Amino acid sequence: MQFMLLIYEDESIYGPDKDGAAMQQIVAKHMAFNRELGAVRMGGAGLKSTTSATTVRTTKGKQSIHDGPFAESKEQLGGFYLIDVPDLDAAIAVAKKVPVLQDGSIEIRPVLGP
Amino acid sequence: MNGAALDRVFREAGGRITAVLASRFRSLDLAEDSLAEACARALDVWPRNGAPNDPAAWLYQTAYRCAVDAIRRRDTATRLASYAAEPDAYEDLPDDGGPIPDERLALIFICCHPAVAVEARAALTLRLVCGLSTREISRAFLLPEATLAQRLIRAKRKIADAGVPFEVPGPEGWPERLDAVLSTLEVAYAKAHEDASGTGPHAAYAIEILELTRVLAQLLPNDPDVLALAATTRFTEARRRSRTNSRGLMIPLSEQDPALWDRQLIDEGRSFLERAMASDSNRWRVVQSAIHAEWCARKSVSDPPPWQEVLALYDVLLTLRDDPVVRLNRAVALAEVSGAQTAIRELDAIDAEVTAEFLPYYAVRADLLRRSGRNIEALYAYEVAISLVTTPAERRWLTERRDMLMRGDKPSSSSPDR
Repeated sequence: MQFMLLIYEDESIYGPDKDGAAMQQIVAKHMAFNRELGAVRMGGAGLKSTTSATTVRTTKGKQSIHDGPFAESKEQLGGFYLIDVPDLDAAIAVAKKVPVLQDGSIEIRPVLGP
Repeated sequence: MNGAALDRVFREAGGRITAVLASRFRSLDLAEDSLAEACARALDVWPRNGAPNDPAAWLYQTAYRCAVDAIRRRDTATRLASYAAEPDAYEDLPDDGGPIPDERLALIFICCHPAVAVEARAALTLRLVCGLSTREISRAFLLPEATLAQRLIRAKRKIADAGVPFEVPGPEGWPERLDAVLSTLEVAYAKAHEDASGTGPHAAYAIEILELTRVLAQLLPNDPDVLALAATTRFTEARRRSRTNSRGLMIPLSEQDPALWDRQLIDEGRSFLERAMASDSNRWRVVQSAIHAEWCARKSVSDPPPWQEVLALYDVLLTLRDDPVVRLNRAVALAEVSGAQTAIRELDAIDAEVTAEFLPYYAVRADLLRRSGRNIEALYAYEVAISLVTTPAERRWLTERRDMLMRGDKPSSSSPDR
């Protein structure tokens, strides 16, 4: 069963360009975590900060393009993993190990499909 | 064999059958629907052909076949639509006369999975494991039947979609998952116990929660927390009749008449508690249960209340679980042992933010202030408590206390039942 793990953290701790010491620290943790995941990991990536986000919005068939993320919130989507594990309990066990620097949330979403 | 007899078989074996079907076919809906269909067939066949020797086994085998048929129909439909490969068949029908495998533990863990909405967990457990109808549960939870039915549907869909496993959790997730089960039952029982008069629709379903704790203790016979919960619910339920007087006024625990307590339930509770202590006495649920046992050891109102022993146990409890509720309960015992002044200082140390809307805090505080002669502050605390209370017996108790204080009367009793 495939699950998407969506990583939400307050991105301001990583600085506007996500290139400071905090970023190096968390990247090192993700590298180690990647090795630990092994074949369970189907994919994943870190994302640039929401200041780089652009949203294409469709309303009543009409499309418009906006600066910024879809939703403003205290914690922002900062990266994701796609994993393949037997069930939700296994996905929860993986999600608990996803590194976050301070506070953060990992949303677990089963991938649609057979 | 009539409908009532079927009802009895369903109550006794329904949870077991639902559990084994759910675990075999990985679908709560299929398990429920198949059992319902088997019951419908029983109502049709039993009166005509006579009841089978083993009605539970008959229901199980029939429900199993209904489930297999349903899967065949579905698979055929899918195959016709998509030319998919031949699916696995479920040909290993259960043997005639063999015992129904017990998968109820897995079913309880599924119903109380932390991924299931908190407010749906107890309802789902009562529905699937205890076989209560949606109407019965909705009455117990004081909810419209349609609302409760919606909750159950949503919870079952979540379980199916989110990938909740149909197994008892492994060691890694065990403590967290078991805690979710125990707290579900605790919240459900607390709801059943909330109204001191115990005459509301909650009273009957408290028995169902007790039954669930018994089943859980049977399935996990060595777990101290499971045994302690079975004990605590029995000690509490045993005192139900003594919790209000003839006028529906709440009676504090220390003034309840032990002659009214249900001795059989207390004995059952005691034997669960002994097993829990033998397993691990250093758990907060076990210590909490020991406090109840201390109270339930009283034989008559002339026995002195065991405040000293209760306080000593609260001191232990505080080392295992330091939260405002424990601190508040300890303060009640402390007031009896060391005086109201000392207890008020303990209350003052509890985080004000946590206690802001916490009824027992104001009820205890009001009583302690009154006993310290701080009447104005006591009146204020009574007013806050009355504004927070939701159940009639407690409301009357608090209102009476406040009115006595305003008249300058001295009440005979001391502290509320907490």
